[in-house]
Amino acid sequence: MMKRCSVLGMIIGLLLISGFVEMALSQPVRIGALYPVSGSLALLGDESWRGAEIARVMKNQKGGVAGKQVEFVKVDIPDVSAAKSEAERLINREGLKLLTGTYSSSLCLAASEVAARAGIIYFEQGGIADQITARGYKTLLRSCPKAQYFSRSQIQFARDFVAPKIGKKPNEIRVALVHEDSAYGSSISKNVEAEAKTGGVQLVSVIPYNKDAVDLSSVILKLKNDKPDVVIGVSYANDAILLGRQAKELRLDIKAFIGTGGGHSLTSFQQALGTAAEGVLNVDFTQFEVNTKFTPGLKEFVEMYRKMFNEPPRSGHSLANFSGTNILFDLLEKTGGNMEAGKFRQTAAAVEQKSGSTASGWGVKFDDSGQNIFADTFIMQWRGGKLVTVYPEGPAVMTPLLEAPFSK
Amino acid sequence: MRGRIPLLVVLAGLAVLPVFYSAPYFLHMVILIFFYIALTEAWNILALCGKVSLGHAAFFGLGAYTSAILCIKKGVVPWIGLFPALLVTFIGALALAIPLLRLRGPMFTLASIAYAEVLRRVAMVWRDLTAGAEGLTIPFTPGWENLTFTTKVPYYYIFLILAGGSVYIVHRLYHSATGHHLRAIASDEEAAQALGINTNKVQLVALFWSAGITGLLGVFYTQYVYMIEPEWAFSSTLFCLQPALNGIIGGLGTIWGPVVGSILMTPLGEYLRSYLGALQQGLNFFIYGLVLIGVVMVLPGGIISPLLPLLRRLISSKASTHAPKEGL
Amino acid sequence: MELFIQVVVSGLLLGGVYALLSVGLTLIFGVVRIINFAHGELMMMAMYLTYWLFHVHHIDPYLSILIVAPALFLVGMGVQRFIIQPIFDSSALMKIFVTVGLFIALQNLALMLFKADFRTIQTSYSMATLDVAAISISVPRLVAFGFALGLLSGLYLLLKLTLVGKAMRAVAENRVVAQLMGIRVQRLYLITFGMGSALTGIAGALLLPFTYVFPTVGGIYTLLAFVVVVLGGLGNMAGAFLGGLFIGLVESFSGFYVSPALKEAVYFVIFILILLVRPQGLFGVGKGTEEVGLK
Repeated sequence: MMKRCSVLGMIIGLLLISGFVEMALSQPVRIGALYPVSGSLALLGDESWRGAEIARVMKNQKGGVAGKQVEFVKVDIPDVSAAKSEAERLINREGLKLLTGTYSSSLCLAASEVAARAGIIYFEQGGIADQITARGYKTLLRSCPKAQYFSRSQIQFARDFVAPKIGKKPNEIRVALVHEDSAYGSSISKNVEAEAKTGGVQLVSVIPYNKDAVDLSSVILKLKNDKPDVVIGVSYANDAILLGRQAKELRLDIKAFIGTGGGHSLTSFQQALGTAAEGVLNVDFTQFEVNTKFTPGLKEFVEMYRKMFNEPPRSGHSLANFSGTNILFDLLEKTGGNMEAGKFRQTAAAVEQKSGSTASGWGVKFDDSGQNIFADTFIMQWRGGKLVTVYPEGPAVMTPLLEAPFSK
Repeated sequence: MRGRIPLLVVLAGLAVLPVFYSAPYFLHMVILIFFYIALTEAWNILALCGKVSLGHAAFFGLGAYTSAILCIKKGVVPWIGLFPALLVTFIGALALAIPLLRLRGPMFTLASIAYAEVLRRVAMVWRDLTAGAEGLTIPFTPGWENLTFTTKVPYYYIFLILAGGSVYIVHRLYHSATGHHLRAIASDEEAAQALGINTNKVQLVALFWSAGITGLLGVFYTQYVYMIEPEWAFSSTLFCLQPALNGIIGGLGTIWGPVVGSILMTPLGEYLRSYLGALQQGLNFFIYGLVLIGVVMVLPGGIISPLLPLLRRLISSKASTHAPKEGL
Repeated sequence: MELFIQVVVSGLLLGGVYALLSVGLTLIFGVVRIINFAHGELMMMAMYLTYWLFHVHHIDPYLSILIVAPALFLVGMGVQRFIIQPIFDSSALMKIFVTVGLFIALQNLALMLFKADFRTIQTSYSMATLDVAAISISVPRLVAFGFALGLLSGLYLLLKLTLVGKAMRAVAENRVVAQLMGIRVQRLYLITFGMGSALTGIAGALLLPFTYVFPTVGGIYTLLAFVVVVLGGLGNMAGAFLGGLFIGLVESFSGFYVSPALKEAVYFVIFILILLVRPQGLFGVGKGTEEVGLK
């Protein structure tokens, strides 16, 4: 009788203990996800969010991080005040110890300030302004390329590819910059000016405009006046299309147009312009027509995207956030789920993966400012209605062609 | 004096609240409410004389940028920086002064919207001064002298004083001769002039109080958010529409209407955005729009109008000796 | 020199678009004397409707005017009947707020229904141009220009020659006396608002081939339409057309010679200046404008 009771007691005890252990183990890993999914940035903010979410779902299917399932506490941050409020709420109310996001540079600046002052890690996956890492916060990490890398690619391409093809020396080629005047456009603009100087390339004009403008004919006319060979453009979705249309209408005659991600990477850009988009070049995060040997995991990502959202990816922003979130998960695995800022940063500093090792083709190496210096921008070109990677050779699927844009 | 007791009790309670309960998010919410009380009261001053401004972001942004630029580029501490900020705000207000005096009703509203728009675009384009859209970050050097703090509690007290101060200013203004004149102008400007009121002077006084408080709020709020950029500083939703919404829903042209409106709308807005915004974009503001239409049609005096008679019965007869139709 | 002419031509075409935006507004404003802050939202609704008709039913936007115009007519009447009429006798302040509330509600309803994506349509003529010497003239903009001229002229004739038009002018001049003369003012307001909205709807349909619609587009258009109407003089048809052209030219020139980032700021400044210096507009008569706040 006694023996049976004690055996029963032991079994019950074991069950209870395993129940508690189970509960402790199944406490999910909670990460704050701050993206603008309403307001004027909604389209690309939502696209970015999708990438992160896909990474989470796939990771959970494989068993989660450090044995626990991952949960995102998703918040919408349509403006700077919301970014601050939500960051406050996630840290103080929800008790989160790790935040990620954000797509927009100004939103990142606001939210990461809150995180920095609370000593919480902020993992940025989409905002490119140099200022984000230039603040020197030990709590900030950025997985994606920054503005400087974009502009460097553009000037290099103008100098090394376009100039010889049109028979000009590097210091003879004429480059103009057209940019929307929000944080995105301004940060690229500063860098283009700096890179043009160091690269010895003439920047004949810089033309800022407001992305909500109803008409951009003055931009095109100014370009016609300045007669550049190459135009570098930085636009969001609507303005990229409007500029393209008006460039065609007003018969802008240039040798090459290099977009800077944003609107020029969107499928809607090509859909609205049709054949007029042929030949347009674009520097951006990795897109989908790319050498998949260089981007392991890309195919699975696209399949999962189609399954979860019933449409193909709208731009490479989702891929960037997919890749970034996976880098984040890897870091968490290495720290065993520990989100303490110092330990996290230390672990991050020790990581080194070469280019071509992630779904976006990026490598991983964080410098002292928290920037992933192996995050690359590639050059794409619209060919046959698709945005194909043309440079550098590793990820390229086609060779770049010099085609006058907005002319067909 | 008897009538003041409930108020003193509330104020005392607010003053010691953080001692007992200092959960950071709760304090953040209360700070937001205080901020909007002050902003709405400031906006309300102009509404007292019947002028609806939907461009108050202009003053907010001018004050905010002046102080931020001086702080970051010249190392001027915001406590000192707020004086130039006020000056710049007043100059900005002067620019709107002539439309204020010459236009009535909707035309002035349109002019105010255009004005805020112009300033926003200039702030975007003048990158040498404002760093354009990339924005400026307030350096993190905590201390009372820098108006930067590591916890929420000092901010709580600062905004409590700002909110209380604004309500007090509106209260004094409302019951002063100027206040009476303002309300007379709201009623019928020509009749007021005929009675010998210097309508221009009175309206300018209102404008300067309204703009000044708003500019000051710009200085302090930037120190709380730690960064500034044109879309935010000159935001039409945050600093033009929101105070107008709070004011009308609470009770236009009253002293306590803006307080009621802000207390109601601020947490509602945060809640709608935090919990519903991710589900359905635009739902929170859609509700605001409907509420606004509803309030105008059904309760033009705002939420406070049915409450006033009740409140008056609770307070002493001191209020009734000079009780106008609205306000306490 | 050739560029200069192109700047002028682009400015005129742009001006035509702006004139089109303001046709409906100048009618409503002129007769009903209400500043409708939700005017741009009417345009937005028309654009979404046109988009849907094109995308789902493949109806050409120019053809869809036949559907959009009546639809917006009904919407306009609804707004007048259920939103404006009940508070018509309240203070100007309340009228401002009710239309601001309408603007907020409609803009966010669109956001809820359509998300923040911009939408545009691709027709065969979206990027077509007419090339005269070295100058390019965008065909859909030219069509919009033509319609602006046509609609404003038509409106002018309507007001001048028809009974309804005369009734509208009577009410615009003096509401009380018009009522004494037997005009059913409330019914006239309904018709006017309906017509004004229908005209705005036509503008929306005409714009979609070369521009795009997104939920917040209404705000920009509202402000623009008011700038044009005030410039041209309230209720003045020719003024609205010329005002539109003027703003278009100002924008084109300041965009080219100053900076595209500041071109809107320039005409907003002009707007404020006009309100200060000559509130009756460049061509306006200024009658009956005290109600809406011009002295």
